[in-house]
Amino acid sequence: MNEITSALLLLTPLLPLVLAFPSLRSRISYPCYIALIPAIVLFVVASIDSLSVAVELPWLLFGSGLGVNGASRWLLAMSVVIWTAAATLQQTTGNHAADNRFTVFFLLTMAGNLGAIVATDMVGFFSFSALMGYAFYGLLVGGGDKTARRTGRIYISFMIAADLLLFEVLLIAASTTSEMAFEAVRLAVSGSPSPGLYVSLALAGFALKAGFWPFHSWLPLAFRSSPPAVAVLIGGVPIAMGLLGIVRWLPLGEITLPGTGLTIQILGVAAILYAIVEGVKRAQLKLLPAYAVMCATGLFTVTLGAALADPAIWNQYGNMPYVYIVSLGFGVVVMVAVVSLLQQHRRTSAAHAQQAADSSLWIERCAGAVVRWGRETGFKTLPRLGVSWRTMAGRFLQSPVWHKALDTAENSLQRWMIAITLFLLLGIAVILAAGIFTG
Amino acid sequence: MNWDAGLPLLIVATSLFSGLAIFFLSEEHVAARTILNLGGAVLKLVLVGVMIWGVFHGHHYEARLPLLPGLDLLLRADAESMLFVVLSSGLWLLTTIYAIGYLEGSPHRSRFFGFFSLCVTATVGVALAGNLITFVFFYELLTLATYPLIVHRETEVARRAGRTYLIYTITGGALLLAGTVWLYSMSGTLEFSHRGIVAGLLDTHRVSLIVVFVMLVAGLGVKAALVPLHGWLPQAMVAPAPVSALLHAVAVVKAGAFGIVRVVDDVYGVEATTKLGVSGPLAALAGVTIIYGSLRALFQDDLKRRLAFSTVSQVSYIVLGIAIIGPIATTGGLVHLVHQGVMKITLFFCAGNLAETLGIHKVSEMNGVGRRMPWTMAAFTIGALGMIGVPPLAGFVTKWYLGVGALDAGQEWVIYILAGSSLLNAGYFLPVLYAAWFKPAPDSWPDERSFGRFETSLALLAPPVVTALLTLAVGLLASAPFSPLQWARFITKLEYIP
Repeated sequence: MNEITSALLLLTPLLPLVLAFPSLRSRISYPCYIALIPAIVLFVVASIDSLSVAVELPWLLFGSGLGVNGASRWLLAMSVVIWTAAATLQQTTGNHAADNRFTVFFLLTMAGNLGAIVATDMVGFFSFSALMGYAFYGLLVGGGDKTARRTGRIYISFMIAADLLLFEVLLIAASTTSEMAFEAVRLAVSGSPSPGLYVSLALAGFALKAGFWPFHSWLPLAFRSSPPAVAVLIGGVPIAMGLLGIVRWLPLGEITLPGTGLTIQILGVAAILYAIVEGVKRAQLKLLPAYAVMCATGLFTVTLGAALADPAIWNQYGNMPYVYIVSLGFGVVVMVAVVSLLQQHRRTSAAHAQQAADSSLWIERCAGAVVRWGRETGFKTLPRLGVSWRTMAGRFLQSPVWHKALDTAENSLQRWMIAITLFLLLGIAVILAAGIFTG
Repeated sequence: MNWDAGLPLLIVATSLFSGLAIFFLSEEHVAARTILNLGGAVLKLVLVGVMIWGVFHGHHYEARLPLLPGLDLLLRADAESMLFVVLSSGLWLLTTIYAIGYLEGSPHRSRFFGFFSLCVTATVGVALAGNLITFVFFYELLTLATYPLIVHRETEVARRAGRTYLIYTITGGALLLAGTVWLYSMSGTLEFSHRGIVAGLLDTHRVSLIVVFVMLVAGLGVKAALVPLHGWLPQAMVAPAPVSALLHAVAVVKAGAFGIVRVVDDVYGVEATTKLGVSGPLAALAGVTIIYGSLRALFQDDLKRRLAFSTVSQVSYIVLGIAIIGPIATTGGLVHLVHQGVMKITLFFCAGNLAETLGIHKVSEMNGVGRRMPWTMAAFTIGALGMIGVPPLAGFVTKWYLGVGALDAGQEWVIYILAGSSLLNAGYFLPVLYAAWFKPAPDSWPDERSFGRFETSLALLAPPVVTALLTLAVGLLASAPFSPLQWARFITKLEYIP
């Protein structure tokens, strides 16, 4: 039994990874369903006897492990359902190259996602989530239109920033303990004299990955520009794994950071308010899941802040955070499905939105004005300023004068090298000769 | 002469004799040349395998040939040399296969492969050198053997690049030789030792030792492309792709970086390097080179030139790891010797494939090329992501060890260098990947050649796919026995644990 479960644990992320490569060139039948088979069997095997299965892989990375326990089993189930839904919703475009590319990124994202769920150590989790994150970029920009490209740009920028922050977190963890299993790191960090930096960097990193407010700007764009096959993945892939990272990496329930906790609670409340106000203002059916997700992550943030302020709160929750993550993943699937259905029957007209705006209460109008101002500044004025600065900086950096100066400097150096070397050699000869003559 | 003395000589001689024999073959003897090339490469790899097995089981392989009174030409197999020998002989086999496909039908192939083999002979000599004078001998041989490869195309640009290369490397070589002579006049020995050979001179020759250190590092820094001595490397990218692979991954820059490792670890020793106060400036210079190389790479449209500046940046990780002075960072530096090699050779193989198959030389010409050449671009993607440091690829393992090592040594500033470099790497590699995979392909390519059912010739396709898989394997299986990381740990143990 142990051998079978160990093989299943390995195959769960490995099979989609292996299947991704033949898909580069040729279409094999149903690769996206076949890739899920080990995960399904693993879930069934682990559920039959409520087993906690784990395998140590000392040769993998810096010594890794894979495993499934009571909580992560349900995450696995959620992922299987979401990936099956996404595979079912996937539509062929008739363009073989584009379809193959989609399948490759789909399978790579799946490998990263399933791997992150079964990882039992931080380096393994980081590696799988990086694979998942970069491959998901391929799915986001797969549409190729302007909005998709913009979504991709924002998403990948956040991904890179997040990975840099999380890499720093890993380095801090590695300098605290030689053991990188989640439990060991949480224990070591909670016992370290200043866990604040670790917690803050990890929170910022996962907030960037999961699109928490105020790093949410790619989320509405992603729901707007992505096909349903990709939209259903947003909840279960980047967001769920971001939340899972927080739960697994942070020593929640073991440390008290009142200041950080309060700040995070305030950010959580702001996120919920922003999502509600902005969601109501936009009143677009396709964006509804985006704002619902922001509300949900805001609520999670508030809880997180409370847990940092008072660890006892977190300890009361037990497995509830996992249940919350699974619910969020399923919720997004249901919302995307419902929205897709509704969109077939109903188109939100501009007149309807205007009518809704006219009939709104004064307090809603005030909030709307604030949001409009923020949006004007955040989405128009600042980006314009940014564009103009980037253009200026770009002109400077791309300027032939700049390049010419560097090339000339290198050429001059080349000419002077002989002279400098001869001079140095002469000096050395003089010193050596002086040494010899003076005895 | 017994087997233990003969094996190092045999390993050097396999490529030497095959190279000399190739010089005498006419252009038409394709089969004989191929057999000599591949036979020499495979035989060398087998002998290296035997040597690793022996070193692991405690054998001492050492060959001494009298050179000057009191100085021997010494070839010796130690843990450090094995790391470089395995890299150069392993990648030589792949580069030879690639070069056979790349140069098919082109003129002067016998001359090319002759010098190609000599180049590897010199590199293996550099790796197995047991003292500084043997190192200098093979190091200079490497300079002379590489020059004809750079000017192989005989164009004006190639000749200019060759001249630049000679100016840089010969002046660097002169500094290295002068420093070696000066050091010998003080210490009376040049044999590499795990604790260095200058410990007894620290009190009496402090200033001289510092000056000699600067001379040695400057001489080696030319080939290692340390800023501001890097000018030859971007120019040398006019050479054919297999030569670029040789320059950037297998031989030349590696010989420079390996030389700096030898000087710090086995000539001066980590303790004397620290006491002389030269490790800090060396680390700072490596840091500047890492950032400068990446910044320059960011704005190059020529793909090989972009990769060349990337090499300037990446090779300095090796120097940085050594200069931080600490067991973990040293492990990171040493392992990058191998990791940078497999990643960068993948990228140059792919750049060569794009040029040979579609006539693509510039990043701006790469739109949609991923759909036309998916395997080549998949290999390129793995190499590029590895360079950025995305886990679990080779570059991640290096950055991990450098980062943890820097924190362990109390040099937090290195973290900013690593973060900045990763950002810049992403800045100059991700747009290439985006263009290749997501931008629409043009109606026609600059100079397209058809290769039947494969996207390009099999001899051109197989090497980058293999090296890309290696990039993945050395990262993913970092803790497996005999992995580059385990070998680097073994070396560090010898250097740091009394």
